[in-house]
Amino acid sequence: MRVRKSYLLLGSVVLWIFLARILNGRHTLQIATYENTSFTSFVGERALSIRGNRTESTVFIYFFNPIRGVIDGFVQAIRDLIAVPAPNSVIPIIGWLGVVGIVAFVVFATSQWQTALLSVCLLLGCGALGMWQFTMDSIALTLAAVLLSLAFGLPLGIWAGLSDRALKVMTPFLDLAQILPTLVYMAPIALVFMIGAASATIATMIYAIPICIRITSHAIRTLNPAPVEASVSMGSSSSQTLRKVQVPMAKQMIVVGINQTVMAALSFVVIAALIGAPGLGNPVVSALIIRNVGQGFVAGIAVVFLAILMDRSTSAAAKRQESFIPPTAQDIKRKRLTLVIAGVLAIISVVISRTLLWAAIWPQEFMVARQVQELTNNVTAWILGNLFIFTDGLKDLISYSILNPLETILSQSPWYLTVSMIICLALVMGGVRTGVLAGVLAMCIVLSGLWFEAMLTLTQTIVGTLLTMIFGMALGIWVGRSDRAQRSLRPLLDAAQTLPAFVYLVPILGLFGPTRFTAILTGVIYATPVVVKLVSEGIRAVPPTLIEAATAAGSTTRQIITKVQLPAARKTIVLATNQGLIYVLSVVVIGGFVGGGGLGYLVIVGNSKPELQGKGLIAGACILLLGVIFDRIMQARAHRSS
Amino acid sequence: MKSLFRPSSAVLSAVIAAALVVSGCSSSVNDSAGEASGDCGSWAIAMHAWNGYTASAQVVAEIAKKELGCTITQTTLDEGPITYDAMEAGTIDVLIEDWGGGRWKEWSDRGAVIDVGDGGNVGLIGVYVAPWMVEKYPDIVDSKNLGKYADLFKNADSGGKGAWYEGPPGYTTIGEKMVSANKLNFKVIFAGSEVALIDGFTKAEANKTPFIGYAWQPWTLHAKMPNLEKGHVKFPANDWTDAAQASGLTDYPSTPLIKLISKKLNDSNSSFTTLIKNFKWTNDDQNMVALDIENGTTPEAAAQKWIDAHADQVKAWLGK
Repeated sequence: MRVRKSYLLLGSVVLWIFLARILNGRHTLQIATYENTSFTSFVGERALSIRGNRTESTVFIYFFNPIRGVIDGFVQAIRDLIAVPAPNSVIPIIGWLGVVGIVAFVVFATSQWQTALLSVCLLLGCGALGMWQFTMDSIALTLAAVLLSLAFGLPLGIWAGLSDRALKVMTPFLDLAQILPTLVYMAPIALVFMIGAASATIATMIYAIPICIRITSHAIRTLNPAPVEASVSMGSSSSQTLRKVQVPMAKQMIVVGINQTVMAALSFVVIAALIGAPGLGNPVVSALIIRNVGQGFVAGIAVVFLAILMDRSTSAAAKRQESFIPPTAQDIKRKRLTLVIAGVLAIISVVISRTLLWAAIWPQEFMVARQVQELTNNVTAWILGNLFIFTDGLKDLISYSILNPLETILSQSPWYLTVSMIICLALVMGGVRTGVLAGVLAMCIVLSGLWFEAMLTLTQTIVGTLLTMIFGMALGIWVGRSDRAQRSLRPLLDAAQTLPAFVYLVPILGLFGPTRFTAILTGVIYATPVVVKLVSEGIRAVPPTLIEAATAAGSTTRQIITKVQLPAARKTIVLATNQGLIYVLSVVVIGGFVGGGGLGYLVIVGNSKPELQGKGLIAGACILLLGVIFDRIMQARAHRSS
Repeated sequence: MKSLFRPSSAVLSAVIAAALVVSGCSSSVNDSAGEASGDCGSWAIAMHAWNGYTASAQVVAEIAKKELGCTITQTTLDEGPITYDAMEAGTIDVLIEDWGGGRWKEWSDRGAVIDVGDGGNVGLIGVYVAPWMVEKYPDIVDSKNLGKYADLFKNADSGGKGAWYEGPPGYTTIGEKMVSANKLNFKVIFAGSEVALIDGFTKAEANKTPFIGYAWQPWTLHAKMPNLEKGHVKFPANDWTDAAQASGLTDYPSTPLIKLISKKLNDSNSSFTTLIKNFKWTNDDQNMVALDIENGTTPEAAAQKWIDAHADQVKAWLGK
């Protein structure tokens, strides 16, 4: 059965390449960037009338505009407190020393003094990098988005945890939100809520809420059933059970959910600058436009610092509750005393930061931003000057060997050939239902008029996923088999996952210039950590008895990997490929900023040219369609192989 | 566990309460800042990424802060609709240099942004080749001959045709139309950023490799590469003003760069409104400041240097 399937696949690919050769250049549906189809110009006109109606239509006056006003006000209040100068003043309400004091105290109160010290160092680092105000803006926006996300996400998550029906209704939305590339929904949100902090907050929430819902419902669902049953049998009402038993028991897992929500919100900080979010995204994005690697690097480090700060302080709060030794009376007393002292110190620091200028505005003398920037620029210049043979060679190798041939097949062959090929692959890999679904979605892309651009994006995604799987499998097998590799790589993978792709887009652009390869490589770097994690978990989950049996039978290490571990971890590997595809897709489209072309460029150009706005919105929808096609095929395949 | 958490939340609320109390009373730092603000008010200037823009915006900002006592915020954001939207929403008041040739019409029609004329700078976009090529192939600067040199510009990304580089997404461009209308064997690549173009021209000139791309005046690259203008490819004189109507057979028109202000600023009788309406300088002025910024002077210092050297002109802008 399996043999026949792989022959089928191989046969159809060979036929496809053959037909693509013959029919090369026909019916490619290519249109110029500035051209609109009747459909895209229709959407553009609709968008225009929405914009024009923002001050007149009832939906806007009574629904969207008030939401915008409230969220804007909320963000602005936090910014006024710590980030932007108050009216008629040069400093915000709380200066930098006060913020450091408060953060140190809060982290100390919820976890240990070591974490508090780390947090202080990281904050001071952001200041020394000359990024104080940007950092505070980012904290304000993240805080607002996280609080609002939790306000919606926690109740919804608990509901989904308690009711199967609620979970069933929410699941498709959660799935969709997870494969939705961030670049896609920013433009529609900005259309309704205008450019600014409100749009940025809402876009961040759309990204963060699903994660919060998922983990919370998971936390409620995986509880030990015994105490819950005991509580019900003793006659507690369902709300009593929830408040007194389920939520307290799930507390630790819920804190993990909060941690993940914070990290998701933070990873949005940079890209949100594209729709007017204040904060660290601004120096990163402007560094991209004027390609100042040094400036991008300095702002990037500040983002990393902020990510570590938020991650460590929230995950330490979750871990602290693990101890089962009840505190003695003396412990409690001592803790109380230190807390009071810390609190007083925090208050003093706030007071000082409001009275003395050096404690209010970060002093110029304590800044290393210029030096770091210059050093980075010098290093980059050296690499550009001396290693360009290597970097150009690598770029040309990938471009000529796989990128160009694949792009020719996909974009230069007639659309009906590629559509039938996609249906064919979906049929073989996922079955009839997947085949029909893939066919319908592919036809939607054809009808939208952006087929040619979609094929460019598809090419880059496939090449990026291939590279990701090569690196990801190799590293994943290594990490899965060696505990030492696991221990040394794990923190690195965690860090890489929280780092927004924009941060390393700037240096990669410096190395490889404005090309498709820059876009692809950024996608590969973004997707590799998650693939490594999934593959290594799959390898670790293989029952040790299987491996022992193989070893006893005299298999070599290579045989164990290829004949036992990989086949046994097959389902996880298919899922990892799926994740890899979605991750690469969501970043490859950002490559439109750096010469990548395709759908991503149309989304970006739609943001800055009114006459192409409709086309940009449709391009966003096409990215989503591509993602859904990938996701459905791979999910169906994983389902089958189990 | 509970007993550990209670005091912390109590102290936490104490800290927040204390912070609120402290913020209630005015502190010495705030008092000292109070004197700076005059009757000008508080305004936001849009900051776009290119150095020429930064030069104009920073000069205006420095004058507003030092001479008029305005409170000025400078907000970095993308050009085009994003900025017009922000001006409509009231978060941006001044856009000092717009190349769009009327793309703000939709917003100005409903009174959300107000066109207050040009700032004296004139933008001229064109297609340029790396200057060294002009010496080797003197007839390349005539658009009629571009086609026969197309093969020179092939690279890994251009799919067997010549690579023709365009700038960032927001910039006015008719590159694709030029290629198709003149039946040139080129593939248009959107480099996405200004520096990609700077890199392209600089590297091509240094390594004597072929390069053709989008360039314009006023631009600081001209100061660093004085013979760049030699590489300007001549197309027949232009016959369009709206890029959407261009045939692609003719060259770009010269564009006066427009100043736009928000309704709020236009309606207010602020001295800042007068400054923005009167602001006018030449391409050379802008290049001077922009080059300083590009060479590492802070925008504030570069702007101040120009202001100090042109006291009379500044006085005229202020209407004194």
